[in-house]
Order: sequence, then C-alpha cells, then structure tokens
Amino acid sequence: MAGQIKHMLDAIVAQRSKGNSTLAMTTKTKLILKGINPDRFDGTSPDDPAVIARVRAIAAELGARV
Amino acid sequence: MSVTTAYSAKELPEAISDLKAQCDCDPRVVIFFASAKYNPAELSRQMQTAFPGACVLGCSTAGEIALGKLMRGSIAAMFLDGEIVADAAPAIVEDLRGDMRVGDAFAQIERHLHAPLASLDVGKYVGVVLADGLSGAEERLMEKIGDRADIFFVGGSAGDDLKFESTHVLLNGQAYTNAALLLLLELKNGFDIIKTQSFVSTGKSLVATKVDEARRCVIEFDHKPALEAYAQALEVAPNQAPALFMRHPVGLMVDGDPYVRSPQRIEGSAIYFYCQIKQGMELEVLNATDIVKDTREAIEARKATGEPISGIIDFQCILRTLQLRGENRCDEYGAIFAGIPMAGLSTYGEAYLGHMNQTSTMLVFH
Repeated sequence: MAGQIKHMLDAIVAQRSKGNSTLAMTTKTKLILKGINPDRFDGTSPDDPAVIARVRAIAAELGARV
Repeated sequence: MSVTTAYSAKELPEAISDLKAQCDCDPRVVIFFASAKYNPAELSRQMQTAFPGACVLGCSTAGEIALGKLMRGSIAAMFLDGEIVADAAPAIVEDLRGDMRVGDAFAQIERHLHAPLASLDVGKYVGVVLADGLSGAEERLMEKIGDRADIFFVGGSAGDDLKFESTHVLLNGQAYTNAALLLLLELKNGFDIIKTQSFVSTGKSLVATKVDEARRCVIEFDHKPALEAYAQALEVAPNQAPALFMRHPVGLMVDGDPYVRSPQRIEGSAIYFYCQIKQGMELEVLNATDIVKDTREAIEARKATGEPISGIIDFQCILRTLQLRGENRCDEYGAIFAGIPMAGLSTYGEAYLGHMNQTSTMLVFH
C-alpha cells in the first residue's frame, strides 16, 4: 500500500484551512514544526506505520479527523 | 494620534512620569519593554497606576528598542489608542514548565470577547505573546497555541540583560515568572506580521538522528556525533566549529524560509541549541547575510504594498542585537524605521507559529 500519509496530511490541511490559502500555509508550517514535512510525502510514499501513528496523533492535536 | 512611542532611562518613579509625559493619546493598550534593572513588581504596579484605564502589559528584556535606538537600561513603551484597538483581551498562562494551561487562558479571552476563538476573523484579530525566556517551554507553548487557534500570535521571550537569572512578564500591575502573557487584539484597521532573519542555506543538510528534545540538545546528526557532522558540513575541524555557531546556525525550512535554530554550546560532541530540535528533523546549515540590508529590504517591501503603517513592534533576537553592536551598526538598524512609531526589545527567542532564534518577528499595525 502507498499514499495514505499524503492523504492524511492533505485532510488535516484542508480541515484546518477551510479553503483559506494563508491558513493552508500556516497549517503546513505547524506540521513541519511538529516534525512532519508534507512535501516529503506523495501518492507513492510507503505507508510507514510509525509515521502514520505520528500523523494520527498530530491530527488529534490539531482537532482534525483522519 | 493612533500609535505613539516613548522611552525613559530614568529610575522609578521618575521613569513613569517621563513615559506618561510622552504619551500623546488616551491609550487603550500600553505595551512596554523594560531593562531587568527595574524591580518588575514595582514597575508593573506603577505603570498600571499611571494608566488606569488601559490594558497595561510588558516584559523584562535583554535590551530595549525605541525611537530608532537600540538601548540598554531603559524602558521602551508603545501606546495604542481607540483608533487602532477595538478591544484587548489579555490572559496569563502560568506554570509553563508544568501544566501550562493554555486552555484556561484561552477560555478567559473567550469570556472577555463573548465569542469562541475559532469564530474570530483572522484578519481582524491578532495575538501578542510574551514568554518567560528562561522557561525552556516556548516551543510547547507555541505548539499548544497553534493547535487551538488559527489566530496569528507573534512575540518573543522576555530577557534579563544577559544575566540568565530571572525574566518576567508583566500584566495589569502584576509580575510573573514561569509564565506567558497572551494578548488578543481586535484591530480596527488590520495588521501584518513580518518575520525576517539574515541567513541563506548553504545547501548542506543534517538530519537529527538522536536528540534530547526537552534539553534542546542534538546528540547525533546523520548517525554521527553532532559536532563532527556539523563541522563536516562546514568543512572545518570539530574544535573550530563552535566559533562559527553565530554565523552558521541551522534552519528548519518551510518552502525555502528558514525557522532558525541557533547552536548555543557543546558538551562533549553534543550540541545544545537555543531551540528544540525534534528527532528526525532535517535541517539546513545556514550562512549569515547582512542584517541591516535584509531588514531594510523587508520594511521597504512592506511599504511598497501601499498599506499604511501606524506602528511596529519589533521582537528582535538578542543575538542580532549583539551582532549589530559588534559591527557598530545599531544606528543604521534604527534608521530603517525612521518616521515609523516603533518600539521593541531584544529577546531570548522569537515567536511566530513556533519558537525560533536569530530572527526579528514584527507586528505591523495598519
């Protein structure tokens, strides 16, 4: 399987930004500051269980559902 | 008059009368930055007494900035009147090293505003944050703020004239340590935030593979002793690397924009930073550029938008101030802001979305 991490990160950004491009940028910055860089993941990125767990935790911190 | 600034190098209580005499408005908010030479509790009490109708807040510093000058041993103040501020909601977050109840502070702000933070227009409301600069907790504070709110918070860490003994945040007549002050402002005319740091990437990257995050320590980069890997990136011997820390911090890059993490000291082959670095973070080694040139360009770019500037608060890293002093360029830096009401401080860290070093974060009032 592949691409789940990118899908989850896109969902977090979409939920927090609600279409506002400035908030999309700041949400991306918050993710990077939390240690997950969305630019490092694409549709072919392996579904690393440790990274997925970390992204789930970050989603909970940011109040997003993934 | 919307924004006025003042400064005084007098002792208490004359400094208060001096500042009040320079205040050319009926302020709704008074923000002040004071040398650690002043007794913080007494200073906070006297400032609140002098401006009883205003929200009065501030912090101790590693230097003050006002009227185009980078100073020491003084108080710099900014007065915001009703033409700028529609509402001001302050709160204290206590116990930064422990529970850090940001939720309680936000609840207090929401009670004041009669609205949840999530409902507020991010273009009309802005937050100012001043944190105890010796708490070691600014990263967690900014993360909790960012988790709960999309409102932009900008600010910095209080200092104490490079004594590293005790810093204070001050609000409504009280003085606090191990605490942060949050101020939510509803602004009538809008605002901008400028983040400027004078570094470019060297193109060399380091991955933090073993860290002690709470102590702001990197033990290994790229599975090698941190000092060895950092020195290798700079093509110097490890014993030469610490002398290069100020010119070559590392940056957590966001679309090419560095969030600077400055090395502080070594312990064996581990490097302690002024900012936490998380396990697995990829950082780029940075090279210093010209603080005056870059800051001037940032302000000129802002002026070129055509939006009015009523005033600027400059939260400037003490490391930048020390560099300017060393280069004898403080007056050049101050001249960048000629004609703009400006006040600020030299901080022990800067805040915008996260905690960072060797940066100026600025709140620009329209």
